Amino acid sequence: MQIKLKVFRYLPHTGKKPHYDTYEMEVDPNERVLDVLEQVRADSDPSLGYRRSCAHGVCGSDAMRINGRNMLACKVLVKDLNSTQITVEPILGLKVLRDLIVDMEPFFDHFRSVMPYFVNDDPIPEDGKERLQSPAQRERFDDTTKCILCAACTTSCPSFWANGKYVGPAAIVNAHRFIFDSRDTAAAERLEVLNEDSGVWRCRTAFNCTEACPRDIEITKAIAEVKQVIYSGKIE
Amino acid sequence: MTTNTRTIQKPKPNFETKSWMFMRYSAILLIPLVFGHLILQDVIVGVHRIDLDYVAMRWASIGWRIYDALLLAFAFAHGVNGIRQVLNDFIHSDRGRKIMHWGLFLLWLIITAIGAIALIGGVRPIS
Repeated sequence: MQIKLKVFRYLPHTGKKPHYDTYEMEVDPNERVLDVLEQVRADSDPSLGYRRSCAHGVCGSDAMRINGRNMLACKVLVKDLNSTQITVEPILGLKVLRDLIVDMEPFFDHFRSVMPYFVNDDPIPEDGKERLQSPAQRERFDDTTKCILCAACTTSCPSFWANGKYVGPAAIVNAHRFIFDSRDTAAAERLEVLNEDSGVWRCRTAFNCTEACPRDIEITKAIAEVKQVIYSGKIE
Repeated sequence: MTTNTRTIQKPKPNFETKSWMFMRYSAILLIPLVFGHLILQDVIVGVHRIDLDYVAMRWASIGWRIYDALLLAFAFAHGVNGIRQVLNDFIHSDRGRKIMHWGLFLLWLIITAIGAIALIGGVRPIS
């Protein structure tokens, strides 16, 4: 099929202002948007910059705005866009470094602020090497273990666009993963961070994050559960 | 083993925590209050028939005064807090936020005071 691909371009070293380049191309409808971008790099413009690594929806490198929605370029097929016009832009709310590449550092700063790692200083159980957990206890935080840190959720959030200090949905999802882990002991510290002005209370339940998540994590629900724990002190 | 409830040291509630809860509780109260008000004033009575005489008649009943006092207390504060939350997204400096918070607080106080004076003092019907 014939498509018209419009790509946001910004190459700071050229001194040119940000602009859009349009490419008319013949593509297979079953190709992914990432394949289309690779084709542009190979055939038309090797200077086109974007992040990609695994190209199979696992590493979370290639989140971008495709026809106005945050998606992973490696997970969306051209035919599923239902349009012959495809616009590809960098994700919003983070500084564009080059073309589709944004500065992810503020995003990872927020991620690090919620202590996204397992904390338990209690002695290892005498009868074994593991801290046991029932299937039900494991199931409790299963959904939020799926996050791949692609930033599609945080950069689709209107509260984050307006205020980059907001910790953002991805950080809350990763805090949720440990807060609800029965083996972890640092929930109170994480909740202190999330109770600050730039924490969970900035969430307006717009649901953009849930819609944008390429892993189908129920993000808004996870945020609501964290809010409830802050309020009640009970992790259920 | 099953999922069991753990109790943890919850963070000390701050202004944001309390205002978030206030928005939830006041919203629940506003459902009967606002719909009752709308149905009565706009459908049963009709906006063109509301005049000072009507207000005096209505406020002759202490029940309606309490109803309107609740509406004033919860609806207006709910709205002002909503504006505060939206503006908080766009005003990032501590100084700017302080000015905005105090400005909105004064707005809320003045309007609420005017409403309270009217509710307590009542109106005199035009003879």
